[in-house]
Amino acid sequence: MASHSKSRWADDEEDAALEAQRKREKELKRKVKAEKQRKLEEQESLRRQNPVDATEDATHDHEAINGAAERPFKRRKLSPEPDTPLKELPPAKLLRFPAPEWGPCRHVDNFEKLNHIEEGSYGWVSRAKETATGGIVALKKLKMDNSNDGFPVTGLREIQTLMASRHTNIVALREVVMGDKLDDVFLVMDFLEHDLKTLQEDMLDAFSPSEIKTLLLQLTSAVDYLHSNWILHRDLKTSNLLMNNRGQLKVADFGMARYYGDPPPKLTQLVVTLWYRAPELLLGAEKYGAEIDLWSVGCIFGELLTKDPLLQGKNEVDQLSKIFELCGIPTEATWPGFKRLPNARSLRLPSISQTTGNVLRAKFPLLTTAGSALLTSLLSPNPAQRPTASEVLAHPYFREDPKPKSTAMFPTFPSKAGQEKRRRLASPSAPKRGDAPRIAGEAADFSGIFANRDTEEVGGGFALKLI
Amino acid sequence: MAPEPEQLSSLSNPLATVDQLSTSSSQLDGVPADLEGSLRFAGAKLTQAAGILLRLPQEIIAQAIVIFYRFYLGSEGGSFRINAVKDVSAASLYMTAKISFLPQSTRSVLNVYAYLLSPTSPLRQPSEGITGKEKPDAESYYLSEGSYHSARATLLQTESILLRSISFITQVTLPHHLALTYLQTLGVLPPSPTTKSSALAARTLAHLNTALFSPQLLYLTHQPPHLAVSAIYLAAREVGVKLPSMEWWEVFDVDRETLGFLVVGLGSCEGWIEGENEKWTEISCPLTLDELEEEIRRRDVENG
Repeated sequence: MASHSKSRWADDEEDAALEAQRKREKELKRKVKAEKQRKLEEQESLRRQNPVDATEDATHDHEAINGAAERPFKRRKLSPEPDTPLKELPPAKLLRFPAPEWGPCRHVDNFEKLNHIEEGSYGWVSRAKETATGGIVALKKLKMDNSNDGFPVTGLREIQTLMASRHTNIVALREVVMGDKLDDVFLVMDFLEHDLKTLQEDMLDAFSPSEIKTLLLQLTSAVDYLHSNWILHRDLKTSNLLMNNRGQLKVADFGMARYYGDPPPKLTQLVVTLWYRAPELLLGAEKYGAEIDLWSVGCIFGELLTKDPLLQGKNEVDQLSKIFELCGIPTEATWPGFKRLPNARSLRLPSISQTTGNVLRAKFPLLTTAGSALLTSLLSPNPAQRPTASEVLAHPYFREDPKPKSTAMFPTFPSKAGQEKRRRLASPSAPKRGDAPRIAGEAADFSGIFANRDTEEVGGGFALKLI
Repeated sequence: MAPEPEQLSSLSNPLATVDQLSTSSSQLDGVPADLEGSLRFAGAKLTQAAGILLRLPQEIIAQAIVIFYRFYLGSEGGSFRINAVKDVSAASLYMTAKISFLPQSTRSVLNVYAYLLSPTSPLRQPSEGITGKEKPDAESYYLSEGSYHSARATLLQTESILLRSISFITQVTLPHHLALTYLQTLGVLPPSPTTKSSALAARTLAHLNTALFSPQLLYLTHQPPHLAVSAIYLAAREVGVKLPSMEWWEVFDVDRETLGFLVVGLGSCEGWIEGENEKWTEISCPLTLDELEEEIRRRDVENG
């Protein structure tokens, strides 16, 4: 709006005159329009007062079919005999609801175990093949804690929340199968080649900025989906983020997940792996919500940038001090009421203002302004200042260059979980001192050329087979 | 754009298949079909009563009743001759409460069931009630430490069996909240309630709760929107609230045929429940395995 802000190039009087002129023109146009509308309405009412003759009726019908606005006419038709006009309506297209079925769990014998993958916080995971279809899946055995409360509530919640979550960036639970004992319960899930933690450990460089954006977008859209369905994940970390060779990220391990509500029910504070745990949990807040997942997202963001976990505390106190070192010490102004949190009373905090600054910007000098603004907001100690997942998705960081990389363009890696290894080519070493080898006698014998094929390292994907 | 079917799980439930409805494990084990219906009803009544005594909200109780029904359905489901009504009822209520916001301890659940199964329980009395009798005998429903431990073992084992036979699908979407939203959409539930609108809402919810006891297992054969719409239709007729004189139910994705079926089904509940209560005046409906065996023996003798 150039005319509103005062420009020193413009002549004020002329501007004002121009503006007035424009206003007048606009007013005139509006009046003409209103007049037109009024005339139309008058015609309409006139037509309605006239007795409806046959030809007009036909045109009305025609118009009604075409969906033209003939409201008053239709309304009158509805009065005493409601059946006649209703019959003319086309049959309504009704939404059919999906109706999955239930039956007893299948037996785990339907799957053939291939190899062990990892031991998570709530069970053992192995790669398996479904014997009937040959499909590769991940089998997760639920850990039964020996508590007196029967089937562990964490396992029930994991199944409950995973079943309710159908999203491209959340690992799909296909079914639950059982073993011979009553305690043997396995979750059958999609198998993904990598988890982000192991992948990063094997990579030489961190992900590129465009790749980080794609990963972060996928993670956040999963978190957004969960939160809009009132599910807290409560254990977001890189080892729980799975990735396939098509660059798709999927959130896994719902062992800590649960439904929450507003107002939040009483929840346990012993959640989230220490390095990804939000300060309000460390300070013993009685009530917490979706913000704790976004703190973890912030930690993962930082980890993707440097390839190393951002805040590696040795224990709860150390974790808190590392957080305050990086994000600044909260004050009554930046986080009202934080001093009243159960564990905050025992903290002795320096009150010097110099040490309370935020050093995130300095730690990630290569991050753009938008990027570091996003990281800083995700890692705000005050949960109220963290953005929601949907706000993160709309953040300008994802719209500036470099743009998020298409998942199809992601590099592929050998899968540890799938027992693939990098092909290691033994390069010859420099010749040793001594006599120069004579070729004549031995070199004629090439029989050893294909020997030791078995000891060679084999890649997972494509290999030439010798028969 | 039409929503993905998977995104509708907050509006829909898994439903029983035709096979599951036509045969049942109990019938294969020699439980007569009419007795099976009575056992289902008695189990639902027991769950409802226990839920009330545990001060659980109707939401959790209704979900537990639906899960109780799911367990006994179909030839691959549970059998009344193997898993007693009382055990499955307790396990489904305990499990449903466990994953809700109001988990219950095994002790409270078992105390309540011990009371409800004792001779002093209102469920075990003929319909005249216990008013004329002397004070109920507290000894009869005291759960000793020993019987508590054995009862807990049964409860937890039944829970595992229950979970396995419903393949861990614990999700039950109820029509109650949908019905209230639909009433608001229809414009018959103004922000400041009138006596008539309150009566309409109360009647609608009452029908939905009664439908939980229907022998037709309406919660296992129909989706929540269908149940909600038919309860509203019936309640509006009874209370005398005028609803739009067009096929308004189509807005909520219910066709006329389903609506008609459900309205008849809901209407028939009262008669069925009265019939059941009359049927079991002399003796109470068998809730334990021993009682069931005795009842089956008695019927065999009667039929020669």
